[in-house]
This record gives sequence, C-alpha cells and structure tokens, in this order.
Amino acid sequence: MKFSIFRFDPEHDAKPYMQDFEMELLPTEHMLLDVILRLKQQDPTLTLRKSCREGVCGSDAMNINGRNGLACITRLRDLIEPVVIRPLPGFPIIRDLVVDMTQFYKQYHSITPYLINAEPLPEKELLQSPGERDRLNGSYECILCACCSSQCPSYWWNPDKFVGPAGLIQAYRFIVDSRDRATNERLDDLNDAYRLFRCRTIMNCAEVCPKGLEPVYAIERIRLKMSGAGDKDGALDTHPPLSPR
Amino acid sequence: MARTKRPVFLDLRHIQMPVGALASIGHRISGVVVAIGVPVVVYLLALSLKDEQSFAHVASHLRLVPVKAALVVLVWAISHHVLAGVRHLLSDFDIGSPLRLARRSAWFVNLGGVALAVLAAVVLL
Amino acid sequence: MRTPDIRSTGLAAWWVQRLSAAYMLVFVIFLLTTFAIDPVQSYAQWLGWVGRPGTRMALATFFAALLSHMWVGLRDVLLDYAKPPALQRLLLATVGAGLLAIAISVVWILASIPR
Repeated sequence: MKFSIFRFDPEHDAKPYMQDFEMELLPTEHMLLDVILRLKQQDPTLTLRKSCREGVCGSDAMNINGRNGLACITRLRDLIEPVVIRPLPGFPIIRDLVVDMTQFYKQYHSITPYLINAEPLPEKELLQSPGERDRLNGSYECILCACCSSQCPSYWWNPDKFVGPAGLIQAYRFIVDSRDRATNERLDDLNDAYRLFRCRTIMNCAEVCPKGLEPVYAIERIRLKMSGAGDKDGALDTHPPLSPR
Repeated sequence: MARTKRPVFLDLRHIQMPVGALASIGHRISGVVVAIGVPVVVYLLALSLKDEQSFAHVASHLRLVPVKAALVVLVWAISHHVLAGVRHLLSDFDIGSPLRLARRSAWFVNLGGVALAVLAAVVLL
Repeated sequence: MRTPDIRSTGLAAWWVQRLSAAYMLVFVIFLLTTFAIDPVQSYAQWLGWVGRPGTRMALATFFAALLSHMWVGLRDVLLDYAKPPALQRLLLATVGAGLLAIAISVVWILASIPR
C-alpha cells in the first residue's frame, strides 16, 4: 500500500515536505496506526502522538486523505491510495505529525469546564436523576482530540477568539448539567461577536468527529437558550462516525 | 534554540470539503454577489421610475445578452443564498439538524441554486 | 427561561439577520407571485403598481430589512478575514457608509416617485 506522509523537522528542514512509503500489509494489520508504527520502525525519526490505540484518548488525530480522523480506528481497507497523511490543519506544527495544542486547550479552559455550584453541599451526594443524566448524552463523550476544531474554517481564521466546536460542545455539557448553577454566566460569557457567533453552521465538525458527536447541534441549542426562543435541554443526536476514505 | 514561527498546514486543495461546507461557502459568496448587485438594482429602480424615456431605456438594456447573463448569475446567487438561508432558519429551530438530514438538505441547496439558475437562463436567453 | 439580553452584540446581530431574512422571504415570494401573474408592460403600469397605497411603505421596510441584513452579513465576512484591527475598522466604516448611501438614495427614490 502506498503512503505519503508529511515530514518536518525544525532542526534539520527549512520547509515541510512529503515523504513516500510503500508497505506490504501484514494480515494482522487492520488500522492505519498499525502501519504507521511499522513505518516508524523503518524510519525512527517519524514523529507522532499515540497512546490507547483504541479510539478513546484522541492522541493520534491527524488529517487522512484530507479528512481528520483517529489513525487507530481508521480501517486500512477503506482508504484510497496513495494514503496522504498530514497533521491537523490550522494548528502550529511542532514536528512531523505532532501539533501544538496549546491554543485549543486554552479555548477549552475558557469555558470553565467544571461544575460551578456554591450552594451548601448536601450531606451525602449532589443528586441527579437518570433523566437529568441523560441530558449529557451526546456531549460528555468528547475526547478532546481536536478533529472538529481543526476542520472548522471559522476556527482556522480566528483560533484565538472563536472557542471552536470542541470547546462549545463542552460548554453545552455544563450548561445542561442539572448540578451546575452558573448557566446565565456561561451564556453571557459566550455572547459576543466571536466566541460562539463565528459559527456559520458549516458542519465540518459533525462530519469528522470520530465519536460521532455533533458540536454544531450543541451550538444551535446554546443559541436558542441565549435567545430565549426555545429551551431544549435534552441529549444531543449522535451518528455512526464517518471515517476518512 | 530560538524558536521561529511554526508552520501550519492550511492548503485548502488538500483538505476535504464536505457537502455542507460547499453549501456554506456558496452562501457566503452568493451573499457578496447579491450585495454587489444591490446598488446596481437600486440605480435601475431609480431610472425606471424617473420617466417614460428612462423606463424604456432600462427595458431595452435588460434585453442585451451580457445583461441577461449577469442576471442569470444574480439568480443563482439569490437562489443559493435564500435556499441556504432557509436551511439555516430551519436548523435554528431544530428542524433537519442531525447530520444525515443536514447533508441531504445541503445537496438540495447546492443543486437547487444551480437548477434555478439554469431555469432562468432558459427563460431569459 | 432566561430573558434575552439584547445589548450584547452576538445575539443582537443574529436576531437582526434572522428577522430581516424572514420578512424579506415573505416579501419576495409576494413580489414574485404578483409579477408572475401580471408582468409589468408599460411605464404607466409600473408607476401605477408602485403608487398603490402601502406599496411605498412596504418597499421602504423591505429595503430597511435588506440593508440591515447586508450589514450583519458583510460585517461577519470582515470579522472573519480582516485581521489587523485598523484595517477591520476602516473596512467596516466603508461598508457602513456605503449602506447608508444606499439607504438615503432609496428614501429619495421612493419620495420622488411622480404621482
């Protein structure tokens, strides 16, 4: 199978370049990450992030044939050759397929991703009914892999001002959590020209999310809540994730 | 080691644009096209209301082929913008928001705009 | 349910864009059906249609909706792409001035229709 991988080492290369590889696939290899790790045995300078190899940590997010996805759950037999692998779009590249996630995490922190509840604590637990817990479905599953934000044109143009789909779906997760008491503050915080309203409903985020989540839907619900025109607080739709081809 | 500015991968030729993204960029481009057309239309409106002569002047200009071609482009722009806009209005109120439905409506918007432009071309030219 | 706070910019712009769009949609459908049924054949007929009571008011409201919708849309484009703050302010001011000029000419046109 033919691969073309983005290479850039700031200590040796003046410019990034694409390196071609050709590999015979082993019968035990099913996912793209398997092949990349074997390529790394051939060329130890190839640099990437990887960890759980089962699609739950989000470390190996990369741009595969133009579409973001997790290498460990992207099936080799689905891919069109030559498989072109590049780092996540729009993020500063540290080396090869490793990008700088600082701005992305800053945006996540800016939506205060923790429960805010200053009421006196109950004796045992802060109770939440199963129905209330179900409202978190479709937003809590986010693994912060950054596939969505790095495929969002609005995030490309203003990564420092627009929170991005990942941050906003997490904002929704806390807005609909029945144990949180800071809903109005959260909504106010997002209500300026940039933080939420740069979203043009392009929907790239929902297309590429490897967990099948739909940040664009969360953003619409937040807008409705802000406007007072609707108060849908429920779980978000999810869909079977669409892998890169 | 001094760290110079890190490169960024943003070559749009190598990044996939799903159908929703095409509908969205079309919405923006068609909006700008209509925005450019508005002063022209206002000018024609003023002329057509001034007197009999100017009205005839405007009417005869509207029969010229280059003007008709421009009109077809304007029809595409208005159609795409309105169809994409209606799609947005509906999704604002939670109609057609899940991905499968949203992709289908994006196809409808993209093709609908072109279809109306072709219709206008047939009628006018 | 939270009371909407219209002073904030993001939400205010969104409302203006949505409401003006809805009004224009209805108006344009009405316009298209009117002229599909009875196309304008002469200057006299054109004047007659525009001169009907209420038409000028409706046209004025339509243009108010159109220009505010254009302002929100073009402002969005500039906010996205015009990064240097001074350039952004300049372009926003230019677009604003252009729209104001169109608004004034529309008022003048509607006011000076021969009766």
